[in-house]
Amino acid sequence: MFIDFFLEIFEKNKNSDAIVWRDQAYSYGWLLEKTQFWQDVLANYGVTEGTVVMVDADYSPSSVALLLALIERATILVPTTTSVAHKRDEFIETAQVEVVVTIKDNDEYEIDTLSTKASHELIADLRGQKIPGLVLFSSGSTGKSKAAVHDMAKLLEKFKVGRHALRAITFLLYDHIGGVNTLLYTLSNAGCVITVTDRKPDTVLEAVDKFRAELLPTSPTFINLILISEAYKRYDLSSLSTVTYGTEPMPESVLLRFNQLFPDIKLLQTYGLSEIGILRSKSKSSSSLWMKVGGEGFQTRITTDNILEVKAYSGMLGYLNAPSPYTPDGWFHTGDKVEVNGEYIKVLGRDSEIINVGGQKVYPAEVESVLQQLDYIAEAEVYGEPNALLGNVVYSKIRLVDSTEGSLHENKKELKAAIKRFCKAHLENFQVPAKFIFDDNVQFSPRFKKQRSL
Amino acid sequence: MITNQQIIALIYSAIDELNATREGEQVVKDENTALYGSASLLDSVDLVNLLLTLEELLEDELEVEYVIANEKALSQKNSPFKTIDTLATYLTNALNEQ
Repeated sequence: MFIDFFLEIFEKNKNSDAIVWRDQAYSYGWLLEKTQFWQDVLANYGVTEGTVVMVDADYSPSSVALLLALIERATILVPTTTSVAHKRDEFIETAQVEVVVTIKDNDEYEIDTLSTKASHELIADLRGQKIPGLVLFSSGSTGKSKAAVHDMAKLLEKFKVGRHALRAITFLLYDHIGGVNTLLYTLSNAGCVITVTDRKPDTVLEAVDKFRAELLPTSPTFINLILISEAYKRYDLSSLSTVTYGTEPMPESVLLRFNQLFPDIKLLQTYGLSEIGILRSKSKSSSSLWMKVGGEGFQTRITTDNILEVKAYSGMLGYLNAPSPYTPDGWFHTGDKVEVNGEYIKVLGRDSEIINVGGQKVYPAEVESVLQQLDYIAEAEVYGEPNALLGNVVYSKIRLVDSTEGSLHENKKELKAAIKRFCKAHLENFQVPAKFIFDDNVQFSPRFKKQRSL
Repeated sequence: MITNQQIIALIYSAIDELNATREGEQVVKDENTALYGSASLLDSVDLVNLLLTLEELLEDELEVEYVIANEKALSQKNSPFKTIDTLATYLTNALNEQ
């Protein structure tokens, strides 16, 4: 019932590629059969409406079929992937997981019934209405991850409108709202999901080349990695028509460099949060950070202090482990500071990340964008440190590119002076980092999002 | 025991670093040079930059970790940040008291 529209599309496109996994293509016919297979297995194990089920599996054709079968059976789905393996126990406890389905490397499966009986009112609510649910965890780089509960039936609705079928790389996995969105979009339009074994620039671009991918949904951090690794020189990317980026502010310098290298690739900014889903968005141009957001099912408004608020028809029901973040009239306060120009907005950064230097505001993304124009800087993170004189001062953690030769590496004093002079030429005095920390560690999370030291 | 002369020398190196990134008038290395206030070339951001550089030098050269702009410094009756001389005197005392 819930996935009927998917099954119809699968039926009509039986011979087309649905998923490429480990260099092999699986057709929609295969996916149709496998979805039926999983429905039978789940029925045998008594997995039924309202059961909280964690899927512990690699992103594979079989796990995708399992997800669809779980939706059809109106279960509450808790997807996990290996990138968050260290949080598995925390997730099982928070989501009150009752059944864990594990798919092993050789495609054998194991179903464990835990002793937990899920009783959270959001879960009970979905169970009572026999509606499938989805639990997504925020990345939670600091502290505990928040668990957002979605009404899956509502999330699915927007995919009933047919759009372009694309061959898309699944860069973000299905435990992330962006990954869920790419997967459902691609399958509902009979496109092809191209999976990758890891998310190194070379692996991803090789998959683009080999399987003629048209769409690469990714993050600003990853686009920067493509540039500094020069992986784009090693593969044929002519099939690629669109690259989307979201999840964090894009440094303008990175956007412009990519656009100069690939003027024919459309660069689109996406906007979404695990709590409210992905809005429809339209960038002013491939070289612009200005975008329109909204689309059917979404209303937006800007508070007096320039924070974006969204009212989403398919927004989450609430958190399992935190109070409801909605305003009394049902708006979600995104915490994203924006600049407004007519119909367009530009995201300046998280309100909580803005650094107040003696009463003046510094947006980390703006400073990072300047630092990343220097070709010997691989990554730069900008953050505030408390200071008795100015309240806060700007610090920057820098990772130099591996090939930075001799003198620069050896003479940190001169290097700092050079970076400072460059910053002073492009920024106000108070925006220039007062202190630089050189660190060889990469600065991004398993989801290719800049890891903030806040 | 840290001497006033050692501190002055470090302040001068910090000024060298500051001057290296400065456009326009250079800060003179003289004990009477004003660091903050109407007589100074430095604004509050420059001063903080100078102090942070000085903290790094203290760590590198004398192996002392010390936050210069702390509550104590700010609550002094006479600001230690008036001139190079007042800063050196304050810092020498503060470090030796540690």
